Amino acid sequence: MKQITVLPYSKVIQIALRSMRYRLVKTFLVTCCIALALAFLTYILCTNGMSAHLADRASEALQQRLAREGLLNQMRSANQQSQTSWMLGIALLISFVGILNAMLISVSERFREIGTMKCLGGLDSFIVKLYLVESLFQGMVGTLMGMLLGLILGYLDGLGRFGADAWVLIPPWELVRLLATTFGIGVALTVAGALYPAWRAAKMEPVDAMRSEV
Amino acid sequence: MSATNTIVSVRGVKRRYRMGDEEVWALGGVDLDIVRGEYLSIMGPSGSGKSTLFNMIGGLDRPTEGQVLIDGQDVRSMDVRQIAYLRCHKVGFIFQTFNLVEVMTAEQNVMLPMTFAGVADEPAGRRARELLDLVGLGQRYDHRPSQLSGGQQQRVAIARALANDPDLILADEPTGNLDLKTGEEIIGMLGRFTREMGKTVISATHDHKMLAASDRVVYLTDGKITAIKRQDELDIAVETITDRTARSNHDRKTGA
Repeated sequence: MKQITVLPYSKVIQIALRSMRYRLVKTFLVTCCIALALAFLTYILCTNGMSAHLADRASEALQQRLAREGLLNQMRSANQQSQTSWMLGIALLISFVGILNAMLISVSERFREIGTMKCLGGLDSFIVKLYLVESLFQGMVGTLMGMLLGLILGYLDGLGRFGADAWVLIPPWELVRLLATTFGIGVALTVAGALYPAWRAAKMEPVDAMRSEV
Repeated sequence: MSATNTIVSVRGVKRRYRMGDEEVWALGGVDLDIVRGEYLSIMGPSGSGKSTLFNMIGGLDRPTEGQVLIDGQDVRSMDVRQIAYLRCHKVGFIFQTFNLVEVMTAEQNVMLPMTFAGVADEPAGRRARELLDLVGLGQRYDHRPSQLSGGQQQRVAIARALANDPDLILADEPTGNLDLKTGEEIIGMLGRFTREMGKTVISATHDHKMLAASDRVVYLTDGKITAIKRQDELDIAVETITDRTARSNHDRKTGA
């Protein structure tokens, strides 16, 4: 019995790009949503990172100034530390809820399109791949934008509080690790938020997918 | 009826749906043979199992019990890639709500089934434009569905259904969202496919205009076939229905 052939990735990418280009405004808004969540996360991680290294990496002049102002002790206090973890928790939560929500909604709007494609001979795997490519692209662009914004804000804040020392407070390898983690979180959340509903719609019988109103 | 002449064979098909705690039998044992090249209409009120039977025939749904054979092959025994092949090559779907892909132009919509079939862009585009000419869309190849009227969208959908030259055209209430005149044009076009291209057209409908174009009409009530009538057995019935439609239209206009 004859089987349908699996489309190559180049074709999937072509269709995904065309779809994103047509939905430019919507794609852009969702990407901005991802970017904002990630900007907040990056900013929090940056400022936390700087504060954490005041004792071992700040110049003597800065340490003296901070000690004079009583800031050094304040930053080491238990109260301040619990506040820091709170902020980090909220930043992660915003990323989770914000990104998953944005992706779920934007994919659910397209259930009918998924059903139609299945009626025309589209495989479940094609649909999953289509959303994988789209969400990877959106996730990477959004995350990079957000990281850039978060870094700028974080370092501006650092420069304001600690002067030129801000540049060296976070050790390079730690900065790399911080950026890699944020990038991973951003892209993973975006892809998960898109693939889950897409996979569910792809598994449905095409008539059910076309009928479902979300 | 010889085996080669039968394109779809429905044997003792039952379909059960679960609605909350309740089990509903949408089809309660249906037997039907569809002959190659005929124009068959499935009539029935909503809730009669019309759409369910229609979906079975097109391989969009699988029976709970019984068999659906398309070209002698049992739909239930097919794996996903075989079902996809069936939907891509053997069946062309036309829907009441057109179901064009919004992000694609008319031409790209018609190309989509060919893309799934592995046809390269260039020949697929050429065939898409030929088909759009055939259904009378004019030069609106690059228009998006949102820039087309209902009738034009349905024409694109018909061109898309023909893309891979399937034997079977399945039309689910194709005139349901169209005005009278456009509906008639679409019906005429479907009738032409059976006569000129030898396609088998199966439509689920409660549009009485479609009866006149059909070779056979299957009447479905409560998930069971209550009657199958040939065109020549229909004539009188169609006339009274037409009269009734005309009368009710007249009543509506005069405000009665």
